[in-house]
Amino acid sequence: MKPSFSPRAFALPLALGVLCLFFYLREPLFLGPRNLTQLLVEFALTGTLALGMFLILLPGQIDLSVGSGVGLVGGIAAVLVFHHGWPAPAALGAGLGAALVLWLLMGALIVRQRIPAFIITLGGLLVFKGLFWLVIRNSTVPVVAGGGENLYSRLTTGYLPAAVGLTLTALVLAGLAFAQGRDRAARRALGLAVPPIWGTILRGAAVALAAFGLVLLCNRFRGVPVTLLVLAGAAGLVHFLTRHTPFGRHLYAIGGNEEAAALSGIPVSRVLIGAYGLMGVAVALTGFMTTAYAGASTTTVGDLMELDAIAACVIGGTALRGGRGSVGGVLCGALIMAVLLSGMTLLAVEPELKFIARGTVLALAVWLDVRFGGEARG
Amino acid sequence: MHPVVAARGLTKRFPGVVALRGVDFDLRAGEIHALCGENGAGKSTLIKLLSGIHPHGSYEGELRIDGQPAAFRSVRDAEAAGLAVITQELALVDGLSVAENLFLGRAPRRGWRIDWPALYRRAADLLWEFGLDVDPETPVGRLGIGQKQLVEIARAMDKRSRVLVLDEPTAALAAREVGVLQKHLRRLRAGGTACIYISHRLEEVRALADRVTVLRDGATVATLGRAEAEPAVIIRQMVGRELTEQFPRPAAAVERRGEPLLAVRGLRVAPPAGSRVRLAEVSLTVHSGEVLGIGGLMGAGRTELLLHLFAGWGRRRAGEVTLGGRPYAEPAPDRSIARGLVLATEDRRRLGLIPGEGITFNLSLASLGRFTRWGGRLDRPAEEQAAAGLFQSLRIRAPGLATPVRGLSGGNQQKVVLGKALLTEPAVVLLDEPTRGIDVGARVEVYQLIQRLTAAGCGVVLVSSDLPELMGMSDRILMLAGGRPGGEFARAAFDPERLLAAALQAAPAVPHPLPG
Repeated sequence: MKPSFSPRAFALPLALGVLCLFFYLREPLFLGPRNLTQLLVEFALTGTLALGMFLILLPGQIDLSVGSGVGLVGGIAAVLVFHHGWPAPAALGAGLGAALVLWLLMGALIVRQRIPAFIITLGGLLVFKGLFWLVIRNSTVPVVAGGGENLYSRLTTGYLPAAVGLTLTALVLAGLAFAQGRDRAARRALGLAVPPIWGTILRGAAVALAAFGLVLLCNRFRGVPVTLLVLAGAAGLVHFLTRHTPFGRHLYAIGGNEEAAALSGIPVSRVLIGAYGLMGVAVALTGFMTTAYAGASTTTVGDLMELDAIAACVIGGTALRGGRGSVGGVLCGALIMAVLLSGMTLLAVEPELKFIARGTVLALAVWLDVRFGGEARG
Repeated sequence: MHPVVAARGLTKRFPGVVALRGVDFDLRAGEIHALCGENGAGKSTLIKLLSGIHPHGSYEGELRIDGQPAAFRSVRDAEAAGLAVITQELALVDGLSVAENLFLGRAPRRGWRIDWPALYRRAADLLWEFGLDVDPETPVGRLGIGQKQLVEIARAMDKRSRVLVLDEPTAALAAREVGVLQKHLRRLRAGGTACIYISHRLEEVRALADRVTVLRDGATVATLGRAEAEPAVIIRQMVGRELTEQFPRPAAAVERRGEPLLAVRGLRVAPPAGSRVRLAEVSLTVHSGEVLGIGGLMGAGRTELLLHLFAGWGRRRAGEVTLGGRPYAEPAPDRSIARGLVLATEDRRRLGLIPGEGITFNLSLASLGRFTRWGGRLDRPAEEQAAAGLFQSLRIRAPGLATPVRGLSGGNQQKVVLGKALLTEPAVVLLDEPTRGIDVGARVEVYQLIQRLTAAGCGVVLVSSDLPELMGMSDRILMLAGGRPGGEFARAAFDPERLLAAALQAAPAVPHPLPG
């Protein structure tokens, strides 16, 4: 029997609040505009990768190679810009193409050759790491030559002017409100039950408040970071894909019962390879942003990011077995991970302890999933 | 003397639903007590209270074992008190051998090691005693569902439990296996074991039960003695109304006009790894408006034939399949659905449903293309409207369209599986045991659905182990035996003994001539 409300829906914001309060009490600068903006950039990095991981976990797959992939793809683009003098857009396009090819290839190996995803992507982790170091020749490759600026570097140094951020938010919210209204009208026309209007308005108000609050907060520093825009775009796309397209239904169905999904005429192989392809895109975006954030491609870029992405998903209620999860949850989980990491950095926690904390959180999240999130099988 | 099990005023509430309302129930030593009731009448809930799955404290009322108040906190407590429950979901480990499964968790030991010779000797004895012809070293995963069930029953019987609870034990069994089971239940009864027997097959209940308790809407309606327990009486108590016409199919032969919708000629299929069923020389035709029944014993290849036609099971070695007048060489589910062929699977939980998702999700899963609009967007209001239509016309009983199908009763799950097939707007519908494990009321609704399909011009292939059902609903029947045709019968020639004889013999090597 399912309770009518999900305790997780309250537990996640609560945990987030407690974490923020803790760091704030230890170091009031934590909630300063500068630190918050930086925190949001880091959130965007983890979040974008976690959204890709979400598409992989939903059908019951896993991808351990994304951390080294992030380094590799960022490295390819940096080398093309710095050593070969490519214009930044072309270099980023080449990196994206490489990521797509690699992930489609891994997807094809996993699906068509029936090699477990765990093994293929663990292999990918090592292979990509090796390729990465070959590509950058174990050196530090800046994302832009001679202290200038290009599209690549602006990924993490660019901010939207205050007015643009506010206008964009207003437009998106208006679009969402319009979609809601159209859905309600369609339901009424078909004689279906329409959810009570006050609930929709209340939810809409909460979303609007959060969105405008976030933008105003960013505007107190330099404006909405470009990375946050990338994350918002990715989140909107993944939400649309998972909730409003056959592809998303197929992901949930495969994760819920693969055999039944196949017998319902779902092209399981194509759907899974497609999910890996999208993971490749998420890896590329995260790779560019992470490398730009570091200022240069170095051998440690992307290290262990796969674990943060998986932890974000699981904290946010995505089942490791597949078939359950939501974009909202994943974003919440990514924010918790970002707060944790950024807070510890601010408090100058030793790296040893940070590793231990990250590992503990990952194990704890999976334990909570197994203990409270997983329904009985069958 | 106290009854072995005495329940008084059992009430069990779930959020939004009262599953049991003050149920009284007695089980005496040495009796077989049948429990009957429609889907959602409360049989499964009652069993779960008795067996500790719903622990003491989660329900109201009193439970006594041998006159002593019982407070089972877990299944283990109930087992310790001598209750053994055999559910429809079997508790066997596929990767272990039959012998290991029979003595799972209680293997004979020599010191700290398992005494393998003793284990296999005792397993062989037990299987022989039970009349089950399987090698104790066979992995359980290789057995059919009927044989698995018998293995599990043998295990429970060997534990010398005082109370044996059987939930739909014969749903997947062939007639011979049912006979074996009944023989053993009678023997156990003579030895003083009490047995609760849940079955929708009323002839079995009549043949076996000393008393019958009928549940309806979570309450005890009646407890009938052996003399009163006529099937018609039980059915009346279960549904609260007379079912005059069980099989709505008219006896008049359907006129076969034009090209067949589906035609199979000389089909030979080699099994994939892990299966031993081999199809050979299978030929059949299905015309518009016609029901072709397919009968046979367990392992005759009925399910495999349907799976080959719909999903390309195994490897086709010879033969032709024509669907809608065009050859169909490499079947796959998406191609089949696109060409108007659809399958409603027998194993609902494993092959038919996404258990954690809601009714709408499951109903539309095979027809999402119809609800996809510009830019790949799903038109969810339209989807929900279609689902709501099926919800009503199939009379699915559930709190709402978003209810996860995991929590539905067997009959309602079956309706969702059928609804999913219907929504694809098929021309030919393959139904694999569509009434297995569902109650009389839902069964009649399935029959009416078949009527509606054929009236609308569909062709239906009906696989069933229930001979009266097969004869009552088919226009022609093809019996399979060992993956080969054992004979094909027109409606005028239906006769249980001849059908059964056809199922038992191995077929001649030449394809059977088609009548009509």
